[in-house]
Amino acid sequence: MHRREALKNVAFLLGGAISASTMGVLFESFTLPENEKNFVSYSLQDEKIFAEFADIIVPATKSSGGAKAAGLGKFIPMMMQDCYPKEMQSSFAKGFKELQDKSMKNFKKSYATLTVAERTKLMVDLRAMSLAQKETKSEENKDLVYFFITARDLTLLGYYSSEIGCTKAREYVLIPGRYDGNVPLKPGQKSWAT
Amino acid sequence: MNLNTNLKAENTYDAIVIGSGISGGWAAKELTEKGLRVLMLERGMNIEHITGYETAMKNPWDFKHAGKLTEEQKRTHPVQKRDYPYQEANEKWWVNDLECPYTEDKRFDWYRGFHVGGKSLMWGRQSYRLSDHNFEDNAKDGHGVDWPIRYAEMSPWYDYAERFAGISGSKENWPTCPDGEFLPPMDLNVVEKSVKARVEEHYKRERIIMIGRTANLTVPHKGRGNCQYRNLCSRGCPFGAYFSTQSSTLPAAMATKRLTLRPYSIVNHIIYDKDTKKAKGVMVIDAETNKTMEFYAKIIFVNGSTLGTTFILLNSTSEAHPNGLGNASGQLGHNLMDHHFRCGASGEAEGFDDKYTYGRRANGIYVPRYQNIGNDKRDYLRGFGYQGGASRANWQSDVAELSFGAGLKEKMTKPGKWTMGLGGFGEMLPYYENKVYIDKTKKDKWGQPVLAIDCEYKENEKKMRVDMMNDAAEMLEAAGMKNIKTYDNGCYPGMAIHEQGTARMGADPKTSVLNKWNQMHEVNNVFVTDGACMPSIACQNPSLTFMALTARAADYAVKELKKNNI
Repeated sequence: MHRREALKNVAFLLGGAISASTMGVLFESFTLPENEKNFVSYSLQDEKIFAEFADIIVPATKSSGGAKAAGLGKFIPMMMQDCYPKEMQSSFAKGFKELQDKSMKNFKKSYATLTVAERTKLMVDLRAMSLAQKETKSEENKDLVYFFITARDLTLLGYYSSEIGCTKAREYVLIPGRYDGNVPLKPGQKSWAT
Repeated sequence: MNLNTNLKAENTYDAIVIGSGISGGWAAKELTEKGLRVLMLERGMNIEHITGYETAMKNPWDFKHAGKLTEEQKRTHPVQKRDYPYQEANEKWWVNDLECPYTEDKRFDWYRGFHVGGKSLMWGRQSYRLSDHNFEDNAKDGHGVDWPIRYAEMSPWYDYAERFAGISGSKENWPTCPDGEFLPPMDLNVVEKSVKARVEEHYKRERIIMIGRTANLTVPHKGRGNCQYRNLCSRGCPFGAYFSTQSSTLPAAMATKRLTLRPYSIVNHIIYDKDTKKAKGVMVIDAETNKTMEFYAKIIFVNGSTLGTTFILLNSTSEAHPNGLGNASGQLGHNLMDHHFRCGASGEAEGFDDKYTYGRRANGIYVPRYQNIGNDKRDYLRGFGYQGGASRANWQSDVAELSFGAGLKEKMTKPGKWTMGLGGFGEMLPYYENKVYIDKTKKDKWGQPVLAIDCEYKENEKKMRVDMMNDAAEMLEAAGMKNIKTYDNGCYPGMAIHEQGTARMGADPKTSVLNKWNQMHEVNNVFVTDGACMPSIACQNPSLTFMALTARAADYAVKELKKNNI
């Protein structure tokens, strides 16, 4: 029986919107010792910043509210506290502070008082910084980069499992009742949430 | 005095069934329906059908952590957390590993469900018959001992099990995977149909792709509702649409009014009577109060799940059975097997951008084994099948791009690419050295010793995995898939949750624990019909075979009891 060698073996990352490191923490074998829970806590003021930050990643659009409306302000710090080990919580918290410092430095305003355009500009910088760091792997800005990547991951996770994300940004049916494996895709039809 | 006598009488039944999972539930149903008063002992909590399925109707946003595990859950479930089955949605249904430790001489991921229904609540539901190709393999290549039965004897019991359980599937006339008594099959989707047609043409039907044979109802069956295509089976089904103890065998047993179900009852050992040379009953530890008690019966069915069963048998020592009950052969605890999987290939389907699906099918495709059959010769023994399927996932935005904003949201709103994957499930040979034994240096929450597991895949399995990837890639390419990638995510025994062996059937009492009726060679009123009894595991999902073996053994046991042979 003639058999050909298959293509190179590649780790197949399922659920590819989320980074490998977040996948590792949330889906695999991490265990947080008791004394590492709630290592860093966040205030209501912090939650407002998370909400605004997340809203730049997934903004409100015509069809659906954004991450802020979907409660990401509370979701992001809650997930950090409940699901992430000490070193990552610490790095995330440092990055969070550096975000606020950067806001002051670039715009002479606190993050909460920035305009959407200003926050977007900041996000563009963070993204560029993160893409660059992937290449250079430098130590500089590593906490801020970790913050950006993780906060973005959690925003996508939290938004697309939220009621707004499932029922407005996508379509969701609790009880389909049947299976049809050959349905014409209508123009503008949204994807199924689950 | 009076109290003792009454207690003994109250604690005496015609039969005891240890375990309430997929095979235990069947034993309880068969034995009660044949007129026996049965005590079914389950070590864990009760879960009521429907009302006990707390998360079955929850939406994604009803889960605080978006379905992910908390650190506390991971802390108390260090083994269960290793792979996908343990989730936020069904986290109460997996064993607390800290309360029930075990020893891993080599890594073995032991997944356990300690509650009424056992793993029949969380199982994958794929249901395939074994064939004579499988029953003859041990004799042919010398690994393991010859099965003491053949397909001709099993066929009517497969019929029987399928007719009750409700298995949907298609008839394919494929020799290694015999057809059964099926409810209408679920549909392949448009991409799967295309792949099937092209693969079968390319290989001239020496390989086929069929819809999975699954224990999900496609039509109402025996008072149970049909599948609603939510794909949330492992949370419990409020429609009773898949086979479980709760949906199927327990109601049948209860209807006879001859079943007593006692949860929180950990069987520590079987009590052997050296005068009658039979089992007298069982010693139970109440899991909530730690009190011990005894129950007595004429017949005992041991259905505690493969390793749970073997633990009890190894722990049931006496002067006549110093190495465990019925272990004169020395085979008890040996020949542990599990399927190996988590390797295969996937690719992208082009030309179907205008097609989508409706509903979430709780089933995939199946490619029955075609290796080492006829002219197909491999450099390893036996073979594998594939599970898999095509789907149009949500858009996978490029992680490397780290994009954000309305553009990202726009992308994430649209259906993504069609992809098709094939994941192999490979047979593992029976090796004597793959074994379990009792580790007295550790104790569980109730003061019992624990099981030690020493098991690993060997050369035959490793060689097979190369083909599992390459054959899959080759088939997907023949089907016109693009961007094909093979994968091997690494596998350890236990991960497939198809662990079998350790109390095998065989014709010869010198090399096996059970005879052709799943009856212990040495203790004729003890029957083992869960995974522990298997002399080999083939590559097919095993639970349907456990159901058939259980029904057949129960039929024999009751007949023997009536003839006073037991």
